[in-house]
Amino acid sequence: MKRSAIFSVGVFISAALLFAVAPLLSAPKVGEPAPDFSATASNGKTYRLADFRGKFVVLEWHNNGCPYTRKHYESGNMQRLQKEWTAKGVLWFTVISSAPGTQGFMTADAENAYMGKMSAAPTAALLDTSGDLGHLYDAKTTPQIVIINPQGVMIYDGAIDDHPTPDASDIPNSKNYVQESLISAMAGKPLSMGATRPYGCSVKYAGASH
Amino acid sequence: MIERSMTSLPGATLRIAVNRRFTNFTHIYFSRALSTFALAIFFLLSCTVISAQSAHIPHGTLELVSDHAAIAPGLQFTVGLQFKMQHGWHIYWENPGDSGEPPRVTWQLPKGLTAGELIWAAPQRMGASTIVNYVYDGDVLLMAPVRAGADYSASPADKLEAGVKFLICSEQMCMPGKAQLSLAIPVKGQLTSDAATAATFAAARARLPKPLPGGWKISGHAEKDSFVIESQAGRTLTQATFFPVHESQIENSTPQVAVSRPTGMRLTLRKSGELTKLLANLKGVLELPGGETYLVDVPIAPAAR
Repeated sequence: MKRSAIFSVGVFISAALLFAVAPLLSAPKVGEPAPDFSATASNGKTYRLADFRGKFVVLEWHNNGCPYTRKHYESGNMQRLQKEWTAKGVLWFTVISSAPGTQGFMTADAENAYMGKMSAAPTAALLDTSGDLGHLYDAKTTPQIVIINPQGVMIYDGAIDDHPTPDASDIPNSKNYVQESLISAMAGKPLSMGATRPYGCSVKYAGASH
Repeated sequence: MIERSMTSLPGATLRIAVNRRFTNFTHIYFSRALSTFALAIFFLLSCTVISAQSAHIPHGTLELVSDHAAIAPGLQFTVGLQFKMQHGWHIYWENPGDSGEPPRVTWQLPKGLTAGELIWAAPQRMGASTIVNYVYDGDVLLMAPVRAGADYSASPADKLEAGVKFLICSEQMCMPGKAQLSLAIPVKGQLTSDAATAATFAAARARLPKPLPGGWKISGHAEKDSFVIESQAGRTLTQATFFPVHESQIENSTPQVAVSRPTGMRLTLRKSGELTKLLANLKGVLELPGGETYLVDVPIAPAAR
């Protein structure tokens, strides 16, 4: 009893500290350096953002049960983007920030099997079980997209396209922001949209209340 | 309510049974059985003043209901999408906040009936430190006005139909929901209230944000990173929550800062990082402690240079 009481107090204090600190950490902004991170992927390798200066990096928040993520995977839209842009030298990381017990949580084996089945072709799928990477970038939805330029600056943060629905039939009529941003950025042109409202399911972080 | 669902349920059961019969072409007694079913349905419909069906949706039910048991040409009545959700599940407001999507309805109405836009009950704020949503949980009725044209004359087969699409989520997961709902309302010389749904509609109307009380004044201005709303209420106000009707105007997860004034309050909201143009006004719902909600449209003076 005593031990659990002490533990509870400890948890309470840590939680209180966390909440006190959270508002001070401001989310990264488009036009500012993307925060560095190091994360382990389902392929067993560890990837560090700072190692990829000189290349474009795409982060794609992912939850394979989310109706909005399924829209882009079951239609093959996401895989097409992954193949097209990794072939052009872009590093594409699928990021899974779902906590254990929540929708979209994946073990390494399950994620590798899923990617095989779906013919997904990112550079790697980062298993962000703790949600640290998601919180670092203030990722709110799946699918949310972040694009980082070769200088390490965040140039896009938001929705994958302009149709915030779970209907795959909307894809042919959608303006794809990933496509548009990467084409413009590689041509050295300014982006028409830097930050958009990401749409989809909330990222299923540990202890979230939605 | 109990009586209603009892009368509507057999209709729903039969409908399913008929659909199954259609797939079973080899059945010898097909047509005979079908006509028996048809007769049974006709009988049930004629016994039931309103025939409504409650549809099963993920983690709840959804039903199309009316505040009137009979309608008349040239008059307006109200229908509602009645969501009943299991504990822990929610759907989204007009502006869902940081994620999610509001329910969308496509009406298929008999010629002569026209439906207006959905009327949104005041939402609840839900969320942790970084993701905030505007939602409904438990039971909610989303109403819509329906007008019957002066020359509307219903045929017995007339039904109001609603195709509804929505997202329903819990803390752990989100699921897509879809339902095709229908409701038949007979036409009589005059509007006749439906006693069975009266309480449901009264409760739903009580949840609608009200116009700002006369004598209140509300104004706003922009600062570099925030919007400031000044409320003059003739009394001191201690706390408030603003729900923006439109997305990407304020940072949903940033705490709203209220400062009490002798005759009102000042509420500071952080501008959204997704905001791309100057805002002329902020439209939304202002909720005061105790649950009073007001519909406001605050003109925003531009930031001083």
